[in-house]
This record gives sequence, structure tokens and C-alpha cells, in this order.
Amino acid sequence: MKLHQEISQSFFISLDAIYANKMRAVLTTLGIIIGVVTVSLMNMAIDGVSNSFIRSISVLGSDTLYIEKNGWLDFQLEWWKRRGRRDITLRQSRKFMELMGNQFLISPYVSHQICTVEYNSEKISGVFMEGAIAESAVINNFEFSQGRFYDNNEVEGERPVCILGNDTVEALFKHESPIGKRVKINGINYEVIGTLKERGTFMGFSMDNVIYLPITRMLNDFARHPNVGISVQIKDLTQVDELTEEIRGAMRRVRQIPPGEPDDFAINKQEVLLNTFNRVSGVIASVGLFITALSLFVGGIGVMNIMFVSVSERTKEIGLRKAIGARRRTILLQFLSESILICLIGGCIGILIACSLSPIVNHYIPASISIKTILFALVIAAFVGVISGYIPAWKAASMNPVDALRKE
Amino acid sequence: MTFRKRISLLIAEFHECTLMAVDAVVNHKLRSSLTLIGIMVGVFSIILVETAMYALEDFVGKNLVGLGANTAQIKKWPTFNFASPSSWEKYARRTDLDYKQFQKLQQRATLAKGISIDKCFTSATEVFSRYDFTNPDVSLYGITPQTFSARNIILEQGREITETDIRNRTHVCILGKDLASKLFPFSNALGEKVRCRSISYTVVGTLEKKGSLFDTGADNRIYIPLTTGMGYFGQRHNFDFLVESFSQDQMDETIYQVRGILRTLRGISPVEEDDFEIETNQSLIEQLQNLTLTIRIGIIIISSIALITAGIGIMNIMLVSVTERTREIGVRRAIGARKRQIMIQFIMEAVLLCQFGGIAGVILGIAGANLAMLFLSIPAAIPLNWVLIGLISCSLIGIIFGSYPALKAANLDPIQSLRHE
Repeated sequence: MKLHQEISQSFFISLDAIYANKMRAVLTTLGIIIGVVTVSLMNMAIDGVSNSFIRSISVLGSDTLYIEKNGWLDFQLEWWKRRGRRDITLRQSRKFMELMGNQFLISPYVSHQICTVEYNSEKISGVFMEGAIAESAVINNFEFSQGRFYDNNEVEGERPVCILGNDTVEALFKHESPIGKRVKINGINYEVIGTLKERGTFMGFSMDNVIYLPITRMLNDFARHPNVGISVQIKDLTQVDELTEEIRGAMRRVRQIPPGEPDDFAINKQEVLLNTFNRVSGVIASVGLFITALSLFVGGIGVMNIMFVSVSERTKEIGLRKAIGARRRTILLQFLSESILICLIGGCIGILIACSLSPIVNHYIPASISIKTILFALVIAAFVGVISGYIPAWKAASMNPVDALRKE
Repeated sequence: MTFRKRISLLIAEFHECTLMAVDAVVNHKLRSSLTLIGIMVGVFSIILVETAMYALEDFVGKNLVGLGANTAQIKKWPTFNFASPSSWEKYARRTDLDYKQFQKLQQRATLAKGISIDKCFTSATEVFSRYDFTNPDVSLYGITPQTFSARNIILEQGREITETDIRNRTHVCILGKDLASKLFPFSNALGEKVRCRSISYTVVGTLEKKGSLFDTGADNRIYIPLTTGMGYFGQRHNFDFLVESFSQDQMDETIYQVRGILRTLRGISPVEEDDFEIETNQSLIEQLQNLTLTIRIGIIIISSIALITAGIGIMNIMLVSVTERTREIGVRRAIGARKRQIMIQFIMEAVLLCQFGGIAGVILGIAGANLAMLFLSIPAAIPLNWVLIGLISCSLIGIIFGSYPALKAANLDPIQSLRHE
């Protein structure tokens, strides 16, 4: 008999066997279902959390470098070595831009000063103020719902103009267009020239609760001794390392660091955050998957147990089949396909249940269903079927037909 | 039938059922061991997680504060304070626990073995000796005579800070282990001079190594008499008082007395609540456990899923066992066994399987968790209550999932089952 015929035949035999012992099959499948549900829910939660993190930091842009006084997540033990670093000044950033020429899009920025914004009788506090120059609109991919960004003439002229984030607009301007209106930022009048579309959150902070000013004006009015950061957008991602070195050299010149001295600034990338997150989440994910995989393991053992029972119950049948010419392979396939079938059915039902439960989980932690998770669960289920079915099937296949026939 | 006779009959019945169950388990070695592994894994996952959590919490709680078992801590700010801004304000409004209150408390608290202070004046200072100097990350502590015993700090060489040092504001110091070996790499530190913030101190003692995972700075400290430190860093500080009692039993009484004295000193009227926190190691660990309660419940649920799966496996195998032994059941019923006896026999079998698996799981779980803790160099722990919970829950699993097959067996019609092929 050909292999594919054997497979299809053993498939039907195992369907019969499952149908004949309904209660037993249901309970065995239940074990697999529970295992698959927990594993795939855990998988979904892990995926969801890391997806939402990656989405939130993608705002930083993988092609943008951020030159700041201190590194992100820089938990060096020798913190006292970083203690005396000088702030980066606006003048230094200008010098840096001169040195770099028109090679990249560069924008200095001063950020995260909390301010209050007033319009007529409306007042909101806790708004993040950020100062930059015209280029930052391109670097940050700003999309405008109304109006425009300030241009560099306005930056040079220190014009009192501002761009509002979505939340700020909604809080202050309920029934009118904000363009051309005057708002008071910490008591100083500014004219609204543009509003941004909704941008979501970044690591828990709303990015819509912001207000953008020309950096020169902001330094004049609010931040006399600023710590400026410089964002640099690199077009050519293949040359990140070389360009980073170039930027480092220019920055060292600007900061007048003698050769041999270490940098007194840091060049930050989105990658740093990603790497740290991946390290931490990897550990948590593997512990979580281990704990949930235990229940799948237990389910697999249940399948193996029942398959052993099934083999010993059908010893006579096996003997008969072998006596009339069934090969070892045929018997092996018969039992193997039974256990795989049980596990696959369990896997499918498990995935369905997990998918329908995922909105509930999503309520507490972000969970997302992906094809990857579904395939993973199916493969795992089939794998469990093979592993737990193989030993009983082998036992059945290697029976001596004479002994098997004689068995009471 | 007398009551006594009835009881002895019941015991005999129970005994017989157990023997039969053991027989059945032993007769099907492969089947039993597979079922057993299922339960074992289920219990293993619960015990593993719980033991790990228990050891971690114990460790964190003890090391975060570093209090001895007989010591309580009186503070203005609670150690774990994740409260709203309004309650922050409540703590901020409290007056400082100052040195005057400390002195009066020392005089009046008769039950306490000692009342002491350790005040971190600065956590970033350099220390110089004639050989070497340190990074600017040394902590300078002002202490009183009883501090070391309250904090479980052990002297390696020399003497502690004495009452005379406090009274005379002497310029003596005690060095932590790392600090001593850094400053005096080749010689004994005792009697040498060290300089810290341009002030020279004579070393009178060095400490044993304390070091731990969280408190990396524990051996990088210099201790001076509190009054000397107050001379340089200012007289007005908020101190944490350490109250040490003579024994664990006297702890409550001591705390009660100290609380009364402090309330009088701080002028709190009887209707008002305390304006200071009293914390012990135990209360801190409890607070920590409350904080992590949600996480713990989640973990318990996730880890007990495996146990439920194992329970389903048991039910399945018991059903098979009932079918296989239909004739045996029929014979037993025919010669006078009652339904109850058949039921007890099968439930007993399930519970027995679960117990074996449970014991193995508990042992493996504790061993596994403690092995993991060994890597983190955290002291081993055996959560006895969880061992008990693990064993009880696997008996429960046995009873719950064994009762349906047992019921099925008991309800078999003896005539039908005798005829069963």
C-alpha cells in the first residue's frame, strides 16, 4: 500500500477510535485545550506588550540620533564621573550645525518644561513646552490639522508664536478655530499659528499635551540656562556607525574636548531603549511561557497515558491486523495519527477560545492576536501529539502478532 | 451494632479500600506513573513560584531595612509610600523626630534594651588615608552606641562607638569592610587616621563583610559618633529611631511603651493618631506582600492551571480504570459490597495517586526554586504553609476529579457489570 493511502486510512481509523470513546476523547482534548489556551494567551500578552512598546518608541524614529548631555538608561556605576558635565548650550548647537553643513537635518531642542496655558477663561496646566527650530517639523514627522509650523525667520526673530498639540486645542478651543488667537503661556502672550493632529502616547506620556515654541523665544521667556539637545536625522541608514563617528568628532570640537579625554555628551538612539526593553521582557516572557507550557506538558502526558490504554485495549486488533499483513509502519501511523488528531483538534479549539478571550485580556494588558501566535500554537499542539503518541504507537507497532492475538 | 463496633468496622473498611487502591496503583505502574507525573508537574509549578516569591519577599523585606528581629524603627516617613499627593502632605507636615526627643526617649524607655540612631549625613564623599583614597561614593553615617546591635552589624576588629564618644564628640570612626581594605590595603586600619571632608578621624574599629544583592553600599560606609557628625552637618535633622527590645516576646510591650512616651513628647492629644510610623521587619514584609498581592494572585491562577489539567488527566484514567474493572466491581457488589465502599475504593485510588505526585512535586518545586535562588545568592526558604496548601489542593483535586468516575463505578448495575465482556 502506498504511504498516502496508509495515512488516509489510519486517519479514518483514528477518527473511528475517537468517536467510539467519546468521553475519553473529550477529556483528553480538554487537557490539550487548556494548555493551548494558556500558552497562546500568554503569547498574545507578551506580543501585545512588546508591540505597544515598540509602537510608542517608534516616534523617536530609527533614523534619528539625539545628542544630549546624559545618555538614556545610562546606569553607570561611576556616576560621579558624569556629575560635572556642562550643559549643551544653544551657541554650541549652532556651532555644531555650522560644522555639519547641510549634510543632515539638524534641530536643537529644549524640552519638558511644564507650563500653564490660558485662553480667555479656559486654563490648563501641566502642558509640556518644547522649543525647536523649523527643521524639527520634518524630523518629527509632524502632521498639522490646521495652520503651519514656524519658519526659521520666526525663530531668528524670536517671534511669540506657538503650535498646539491636539489635547491642548481640545481643552482650550471648544467652539472656534485656534489659528491666529492669542494664548497666555505662563502669563506671556503667544499667537497660535498651527495645530497638530493626534499623536498618541510615548512611554506613558501623552504627546498631544504639548506646545511648541521657537527655541530662541522659549529661551528668552522661560529657560535662561537651558540644557539643549540636538536631534540629527540621518538619511542613509546603512552608514549609521560612520556618521555617528563623524557627529561625535564634530561635537567634540564644539565642546572643545582635548584628545584623550572621554566624551562629555552622549549620542542616543532608539536602539538603546529597544535593547534594554528586549533584555528585560525576554526574561519575563521566558518565565511566563515556561509556567504556561507546564500545563501543556501535563496535557501531553494525559494524551500519552490514554494512548497507552488505547494500545493495550486494542492489542487483539493489532495482532489481527499484523497477522493479515499490516506492516509496522501501518500500525505506527494508526496510533500516531490518533494522538496527533486529538492534539490538533485540541489546538484548534484552544486557539478559538484564546482568540475570543483576548479582548478580555486586552482590557487589562495589551494583547494582540497574530498569525504567528496561531501557527505557533498549532505547531506546538501537533508537536505534543507526535511526542506523546510516538512511544505508545511504537509499543503497538513492535508487538509480536502471535502474542498479541493470544492476549485475553 | 454498638457505636464502637461501627467505628472499628468503618476503619476496617477504610483500611481495605486503601489496600485495594494501593494494589491497583502498583499493578498499573506505567499508567500510574504517568498520571503521577501530571500531578507532580502541576504541584511543582505552584510550589516553585510560591517558594521563589516567598524567598524573594523575605529577602527584600529584610535587606531593604536591615532590621534585626528584635528591632522596631520609628520614622517620620513610612518606608513604602506610594500614596497620593494629599497623604504625602500629611507626612510632610509632621514635625521632625529630633535629637532632644531621642535623648528623652532614651531616659524614659525602661523596657527597651537600647534606643539608637543611624543617620546618613552624606552618601557621596571621598575618604583619604595616607595610602590611598576612594571614589566619591562613600556614605558617612552618624551613629550611637546601640546602633550596631540594632542593625545586625558585626564588628571585626576594635571597638564600637561608646557613650563617651557621643558625649565628647570625639573624632573616631569605624570603617566598613570594603572601605578598610581599599584605604589600608597592606596594614591594619586600627589606630590609623583617615580624612573625610577635610576632617581627620582615628579608626577605632572595622566591620565584618555584610554585602548583599540590593544594598551594594553596605560595606562602603564610614561610621562616626552622631554628635560629632551633627557638629559638622547641622544640629537639626530628622532621625529614624531604632528601638531594640530584649527579646521577641517583649517586643510588643516595648513598642507600646515607646509609643506612649513619644506621644507625650510630641504633644499628641489622646484622640489624635500617631504622627510617626512604627515599623518592624514583620510589618514591612507584610506591607510588601500587600503591595504584590495582585501579582501573586495572578501567578497562583496561572500556575494552578497545570494542576487542573492534571486533574482532568486523573479523571480520564480513572474512567478507564472503572471500565476495565467493571467485572471486578460486579463481583464485589454481588458478594455484598455496598455502593459507598466501591466509591471510597476509587476515590482513594485517585487521592493516593495525587498524594504521591503532590509530594514529589513539592520536593522538586522547593528544590528548583531554591536552586534558582542560589544563583541570585538569596538565602533558601521553605514556605511551610504552601507545602500544606499544595498537598491539600492535590488531595482536593483527587477527590473532585475522582468522584465522577467513582460515582459511575458505584452506580453500575451488578448484574449488567458481571455480564460485561
